[in-house]
Amino acid sequence: MKEFTVRFDLGDKAVQVPSGTLLSEAAQLAGIDVNQPCGGQGRCGRCAVQILDGTVRRRSTLRLTTEDVALGYALACQTVVEGDVDVHVPAQEKIERRLTTDLTVAEVRVPSDYLFSADQSIRRVKLNLSEPNMDDQTDDLSRLLTALRQQVGLAPVTVSLATLRKLGGILREGQWEVTALLDTGTEVGEDLQPARLIDLLPGLVADIEPIWGAAIDIGTTTVTVWLVDLVSGQVRAQASEYNGQISRGEDVISRIVYAGKNSGDEELRQLVLATINSLIERVSQRAGEQAQDLSGRTVKAVVAGNSTMIHLLLGIPAASIRLSPFITAVNQPPLLTAQEVGIDIHPEATVDCLPGIASYVGADITAGVHASGMDLSEKITLFMDVGTNGEIVLGSEEWLVACACSAGPAFEGAGVANGMRATRGAIEEVWINNNDLEPNYRVIGGAKPAGICGSGLISLLAEMFITGIIDKAGNFNLHLETPRIREGAQGPEYVLAWKDETQTGKDIAITRVDVDNLLRTKGAIYAGYNVLAESVGVSMEMIEQMLIGGSFGKYINIEKAIQIGLLPDLPWDHFQFLGNTSVRGAYYALLDRKSRERITEIASKMTYIELSADNRFYDAFMSALFLPHTDLSKFPSVNGMFAG
Amino acid sequence: MPIEIPKDKWPGSVRQVVLGATAAEGGTRTSKVVVGGETCMPFMHFEGAIPNRPVVALEIRDRRPDDWSPLLVKTWENVIDDPAAWAKAAEEVGADAIQLTLSLTDSAGQPMSPETAVATVKAVLQASGLPLIVFGPGQSEVDNLLLVAVAEATKGERLALGICEDKNYRTIVATAMANDHVITARSPMDVNLAKQLNILISDMGLPLDRVIMDPTTGALGYGIEYGYSVMERLRLAALQGDAMTQLPMLVTPGYEAWKTKESKVGEGVPESWGDWLQRAINWETMTAIALLEAGANILVLRHPESLKQVEAAIQDLMTAPDMVSV
Repeated sequence: MKEFTVRFDLGDKAVQVPSGTLLSEAAQLAGIDVNQPCGGQGRCGRCAVQILDGTVRRRSTLRLTTEDVALGYALACQTVVEGDVDVHVPAQEKIERRLTTDLTVAEVRVPSDYLFSADQSIRRVKLNLSEPNMDDQTDDLSRLLTALRQQVGLAPVTVSLATLRKLGGILREGQWEVTALLDTGTEVGEDLQPARLIDLLPGLVADIEPIWGAAIDIGTTTVTVWLVDLVSGQVRAQASEYNGQISRGEDVISRIVYAGKNSGDEELRQLVLATINSLIERVSQRAGEQAQDLSGRTVKAVVAGNSTMIHLLLGIPAASIRLSPFITAVNQPPLLTAQEVGIDIHPEATVDCLPGIASYVGADITAGVHASGMDLSEKITLFMDVGTNGEIVLGSEEWLVACACSAGPAFEGAGVANGMRATRGAIEEVWINNNDLEPNYRVIGGAKPAGICGSGLISLLAEMFITGIIDKAGNFNLHLETPRIREGAQGPEYVLAWKDETQTGKDIAITRVDVDNLLRTKGAIYAGYNVLAESVGVSMEMIEQMLIGGSFGKYINIEKAIQIGLLPDLPWDHFQFLGNTSVRGAYYALLDRKSRERITEIASKMTYIELSADNRFYDAFMSALFLPHTDLSKFPSVNGMFAG
Repeated sequence: MPIEIPKDKWPGSVRQVVLGATAAEGGTRTSKVVVGGETCMPFMHFEGAIPNRPVVALEIRDRRPDDWSPLLVKTWENVIDDPAAWAKAAEEVGADAIQLTLSLTDSAGQPMSPETAVATVKAVLQASGLPLIVFGPGQSEVDNLLLVAVAEATKGERLALGICEDKNYRTIVATAMANDHVITARSPMDVNLAKQLNILISDMGLPLDRVIMDPTTGALGYGIEYGYSVMERLRLAALQGDAMTQLPMLVTPGYEAWKTKESKVGEGVPESWGDWLQRAINWETMTAIALLEAGANILVLRHPESLKQVEAAIQDLMTAPDMVSV
């Protein structure tokens, strides 16, 4: 047989191999380590190398785009040598990044048209007051209000008792030069509404000094806070934590039940406030140098969250949300102050709870829709927010329909034995070798693993399914020869990481119970968007883009999500992962009154469809409790994989 | 003017499944039953073909059952302690097939051993030439243990083995494949769950013409409407071309009807309920006939009189074409 030379740029090594040798074998011969997490089956794309020169034959180019192939990229484990070849071995990390570019997670960027002076409801005005004397006996407040009217045109302006108490001192301390922080209201056209004086500072504060605001998303499972400089629009710090209410019930229903029992409502309110306040402290510290009293200088907070979370935060009875006909006390709460709500920022700070539309489609969704931009798109778009409650919105610039389904917290890492949030130490991606069933995983932050986050669970479930560790119903195959499948305390389980490789010193395993939870979660979501689409006569093929929000981890693998039947079998370029859209929507509303108005418009435009009144949901749910789905024809690409 | 009867046309059909192998086919059965093959909804002869009539099996036990109605015990008193004699008696009263249920414990109160199970099955095969359906006690681990032994000892007889559910299907399917048997796949009264189990079984490589599905049901007055509608929907899906639902259906109206109060209790019930035995037989018969109309291919009964009445109903329903051609 003919022999060829394969030359690798890494370490400038060359080997002689017979025609038909795999590049991965040649690399091994040359002593070059090419990652093959999937065990050389051409499934993961991690072994991509670049052919600089020479003849090769690619058996498969799965996960490579046509541009990649045009650039000479080839999967080392699927490409055979048919001539002398020069190979470039990219740094492994670089490959990873290239392969994840299609899994877009947009960074937080300040909207390009954001103009503090025009868009922000908070205004900072510098005032020069005339000093009082025996001839000018105007009282301090009138003096201030006159200056506001005459110098910046703000009138009327309301002032709180707390401000009145310190007014005289500040005017004199600043020697009649003061800086006022006011909220001119959420509606565009500020002159029409009274402004509210939030704070008064002695002296003239420089224009570039930050003004702090907080975007808060209260999820059933996770609470997120972004600290924003309202002047520049930049997010200066982000933090998330499990909602302290989790210990009192995992879903909104059990929370409402708990709130109904002897002063459970006050306990829940305090728990979520404690979570929010600790996050505010954390972001304030992270924001850096002026940390000491930064939270006290935060003058505006915008809150998104599902209707139950908002009710519980405000201490409004939520019982009617749970009971037919499922009515909220309020969908659009008025503007409040931090002091009233109990959030530890400036006591007079504005707290703006975004509007929801129904008991189970709340402000997290109106905010999310705004963040996704679907309400301005011509394309038929399916937007879903995958959280403990899965909310789904379908529509375009012309119409919007929404529904909610109880998905459970599994994709947020809760309710799963070794689940965790997508933070450092979480396994976020898994590959399992077909032959020996040994796993290969990637951990956020590269540390030792402590648990598995949502994206890790999705990829683990898919890999177990593909490799036959579990069957289509989620039953473990105990007949397979591997120590990783075993009978655990909760029934059969698969060990993903042995205890000597974990942070916790305990095995990280996924159990049959976990698999069932994940199946129910993905089944509920799949059933939800299918029934919603069906109810307005839209078939899956008509959907032009699918936008997915949720905090299940950064690198959701679309292919894996399709394999388990969480996402419909559409072309990969239809999907876009947006991360936490609720907090992002809150952020936009925090910055810009136009955004805030758009959210109100979204709320008024959206039609809510109650799934519990629809028999089709149960049926759709049962048929989705299967991998990928009971109706095999719905997932041709997954079936093709088995056939091929 | 001739009356135009509207007809549905179906793209799909139910698979044919053969139970029992005769000497020519490598078994020892003197008869076999073929079920399935329909190209139309039950008894809609004018819309398609119903090549095989539904069949009735009688349920027997490996030993005297502890929880059967005294009426049944009385009926089978002479054979109830001897499964071979019981099978023979069942054949004599006209059953198309025998359904033997193995107990958790043997007559001495010991856990049923694979050896005892095999001996019982062999005795039954010896005594009756009818096709045999063997169910384990219904606990997946015990079922696996007993049915594997039975399947191996009766290779080639083309028994139907159950109960095969989504938790334990692997072992039973594997042994059915290795020993040329048929399996009955039981799922808890849901169209999707029935279909899912069929997919799992098919994924293991067992040809679907060796699978019968048991969608479970309830007795008259005890949820039969739900069972009926599940069966009807399964059959509609099959006729519409869904390959994973195109299997004949086995149901157990005997088991369901005889656990109702109406059948079990003879004293302390309103007088208007009428004669106990009559009532119990009617209950079983009515349940069975309703399920027949829902699309059942194999009905497992317990009382010989019910068997007679259901067989008569099948006879009538199968000759119905004459009535429509008016």
